[in-house]
Amino acid sequence: MIAELTIGGMPFSLIWELFGYSILAALVCGLAAPLVGSFLLVRRTGFYGITLPQFAAAGIAFGFAILPWWSQHFGDILHPVDSGDESHLALGYHMQWAGLFTLVGLLSMTLAARKKSGNETGIMAAAFAIASAATILLAQASAEGDIFISSLLSGEILTIDSHEFRLLAYTLGLVAIGLVAFRREFTQVSYDPELARVLGRKPLVWEGALMLAVGATVSAAVMTVGPVVIFGLLVIPPLAARGFAGSMGQFLLLSSLIGGLSALGGVWTSFHYDWPLGPSLIAFSALFLLPSMVGVGRK
Amino acid sequence: MSDALIRVQAADFGYGKTSILKGVNLAIEAGEFLGILGPNGAGKTTLFRGLLGLIRPMAGSLERGATRVGYVPQQEKLDPAWPLSVLEIIKMGLAHRVTKTDRANAHANLERVGLGDRARATFSQLSGGQRQRVLIARALMGSPEVLFLDEPTSGVDRPNQMLIMKLLQELNDEGRGPAILIVAHELELLAKPATGALWVDEGTVTRLDKEKFAGGSGIEALFEARHKKVTS
Repeated sequence: MIAELTIGGMPFSLIWELFGYSILAALVCGLAAPLVGSFLLVRRTGFYGITLPQFAAAGIAFGFAILPWWSQHFGDILHPVDSGDESHLALGYHMQWAGLFTLVGLLSMTLAARKKSGNETGIMAAAFAIASAATILLAQASAEGDIFISSLLSGEILTIDSHEFRLLAYTLGLVAIGLVAFRREFTQVSYDPELARVLGRKPLVWEGALMLAVGATVSAAVMTVGPVVIFGLLVIPPLAARGFAGSMGQFLLLSSLIGGLSALGGVWTSFHYDWPLGPSLIAFSALFLLPSMVGVGRK
Repeated sequence: MSDALIRVQAADFGYGKTSILKGVNLAIEAGEFLGILGPNGAGKTTLFRGLLGLIRPMAGSLERGATRVGYVPQQEKLDPAWPLSVLEIIKMGLAHRVTKTDRANAHANLERVGLGDRARATFSQLSGGQRQRVLIARALMGSPEVLFLDEPTSGVDRPNQMLIMKLLQELNDEGRGPAILIVAHELELLAKPATGALWVDEGTVTRLDKEKFAGGSGIEALFEARHKKVTS
């Protein structure tokens, strides 16, 4: 008879039964988010990966802050009387604010970058600081918001339910398929926009599609796994893969692979040491940076 | 109207509300090999971008007889941070999905520029001259009727400059291949292959014929006159 796999003294079957959606969510994020992050990194907009999730978190906190007013006018979103589907409603409510704030942040940063004032990095750093402060201040406006945001910020992702997982899987799945299927077009308009125009492409449309993919990924992921996990997965796997990739195809594949392995390693570390899953995942992914830090890989 | 590849009539080109070139009249015919020359800041790039279709004329008209255009940018404009293979760069020259025939063409074009063995190499790890030849191979992917090159010899050592000009001359095939429009500073490199030049200065464009251009003295006189005007 084959002995059952245990992690940290807990049978894996029990871990799966209790936390299956959380493990799958970590894996989906690990595989898909680095694809988005790869484009951010080579477009020299890696800072977006840090700042945008904070905008999304601020959006969720804003949603909690205005919840009393919203409930008064549009009905109780978090505790509906006649619906057994409260999680779905709440998710949609949080998603709308996360999405709106992410898109506003994305548009603002894109416009700032287009001006080429030389202050782009400073503007993004300031935006990150402001969004972080706004998240904390807005969350304090409601007790429920404070608990929810604290949980998001600490990366405690073990409470993900089927609705949250489906939202994440559909959104990130669609983004990943789109990025892989149209990687040549996204690469062309980002790398050589003048050539794209000469060949009759509309760089603005493709740029818009790419930004939409970034916004959707960040909004859906912040809602479910929190800002720390998503910004770690947007930035670290592509950074680790960059030194070993000889082509854009290899770069995307390696980034995604490192993200996926980070998710699996993070799950194991989390249950073995009884650490929170989100930070464990990011700590594990950081191990993949070691080879490039000691000079292994391409120049 | 003759079957010119590009015909410009009384066109003004510029940016925003500022016109840099005024009343440009010219026609690019099939098989021509033209250098775009002039002092720094005179509007060479503006003319180049205008003919390429990247900026629209502010006044007048520009008609395109050519439907297939190849473009070779300055390689300094391309970010070396992208981990792109040579083949990926070449395939970028296509507006449609890559087919089996395109893949074969990509390899054939790489062979044509003498880099058949570097298809799997990373673009940013090639030398400046090799990168430039890859960009020429990329521009050939769409079988262009006109090939636009923006300073293809800048930042490239002398042997590679000669190699690139020889390659362009072979492509032009004495007028049987694509017309070539090239922005360049090295007049002596253009003297042999070019069939003429477009001299850009003081907001105007003047066409110089082969005799005036190839001897070098005509251009030198224009540069000399300009230099005196600036310094006097």
